[in-house]
Amino acid sequence: MNRPIRLCHLSDIEDGDARGFDPHQQGHDSLFVIRQHRQVIGYRNACPHKGYEGTSMAWRKDRFLNKAHSRVICAAHGAQFDINSGECLLGPCPGQSLDRLPLLVNEQGDVYLLPADSEK
Amino acid sequence: MNITGLDSLVFGVDDVEACNQYLTDYGLIPNNVSAAGGTFTALDGTSVVIRHRDDPELPPALPTGASLRKTIHGVADQATLNAIAEELGKDRDVRRLADGSIEAEDDMGFTLGFQLSCRQPISIPAEKVNAPGDEPGRPVNVIGADESITIVPRTLSHVVYFVPDSKKAEQFYIERLGFRVADRFTNLGPFLRPQGTLDHHTLFLVDTPPEMQGVEHFTFHLGGPTELLLAGKRFQEKGYESFWGPGRHIYGSNWFWYFNSPMGVHVEFDADMDLHDDSWTAREIDASADASQIFNFTLVDKWMPGGDPH
Repeated sequence: MNRPIRLCHLSDIEDGDARGFDPHQQGHDSLFVIRQHRQVIGYRNACPHKGYEGTSMAWRKDRFLNKAHSRVICAAHGAQFDINSGECLLGPCPGQSLDRLPLLVNEQGDVYLLPADSEK
Repeated sequence: MNITGLDSLVFGVDDVEACNQYLTDYGLIPNNVSAAGGTFTALDGTSVVIRHRDDPELPPALPTGASLRKTIHGVADQATLNAIAEELGKDRDVRRLADGSIEAEDDMGFTLGFQLSCRQPISIPAEKVNAPGDEPGRPVNVIGADESITIVPRTLSHVVYFVPDSKKAEQFYIERLGFRVADRFTNLGPFLRPQGTLDHHTLFLVDTPPEMQGVEHFTFHLGGPTELLLAGKRFQEKGYESFWGPGRHIYGSNWFWYFNSPMGVHVEFDADMDLHDDSWTAREIDASADASQIFNFTLVDKWMPGGDPH
């Protein structure tokens, strides 16, 4: 499928929070999207932690952020990541970053995963 | 050193409320739960303690920010407590706390506590099976598959540390505290058993780069594999994120099922671990998927073939 995949409407993600998606029907959320007003940031749901590469990061469905919703956290070993850059700020994978996915929000507020990375 | 096993693990966390809920849903008994934290106990009184990471009463965090702030080992008697204080006092600060316990750091910087064990004797039957050739495990007319059972973890089993120097870390537990090596993954580190228990391990050390120092997981023992599978299934159905399992390990033979947690460590359900004494000869192998488990499954939705043919 080499075309954008609709994930949800903006209003389906609480402002400031995150939500996981399984657009390729893999049986688990392969990516998550953070919403900040009309901006969305998408990452592959895969911690870069050495030896655990690819580990799912939430501790419960859609729980990808810390309590203050100021950082992405990995519930496997406690790594913390900058929401905007995806860079590891604290924890077991310093110098590494989350894998950003290209998203698009159209005028109607529909959120799409763009195809460049849709096979990741 | 008559150290009997883990009494308690103390965490300093970001989201206290989430951790309180998580450990309650895991099946532990919640005590003194508030916005400041809580104590979550197994049937024998061993526990996990949750506090906010900024709680001034917590020991300092490791430089990596790991959430585990203290590992409390139980000991059999006052003589053991005194012996540990004397031994560790040779080369480090040993603090005597108001509750009678002592506190010191291990060679990697983890804060340890030692106390007269809080572990209470429990007497509850294990999961029983029927097999031709042996006496029935369950009496006649007693059913084995009951989805409604209450599952409460029985006892705190083990914790796994990521350590920057597993040789040095191992030396401390063996030479200073009398732990035995049960088995060893050559490329990772040893499974360690203190002298006061027969459990295969209460501590496993994994060699990692220094920036990873912290905890891989901790776990409590359940009553058997069916309890483990049912507890894990219930946990997953509540939305918690399975990390690995269910399956059965080779070293220790324990059934396992690991989940992510808001403490930022994995939390395992565990059942049916091997027992060893000092006549046991430790095995050693390089860790690998094959060496780690005899099998590994993934839970899928309930299903049945055929449906209703009528």
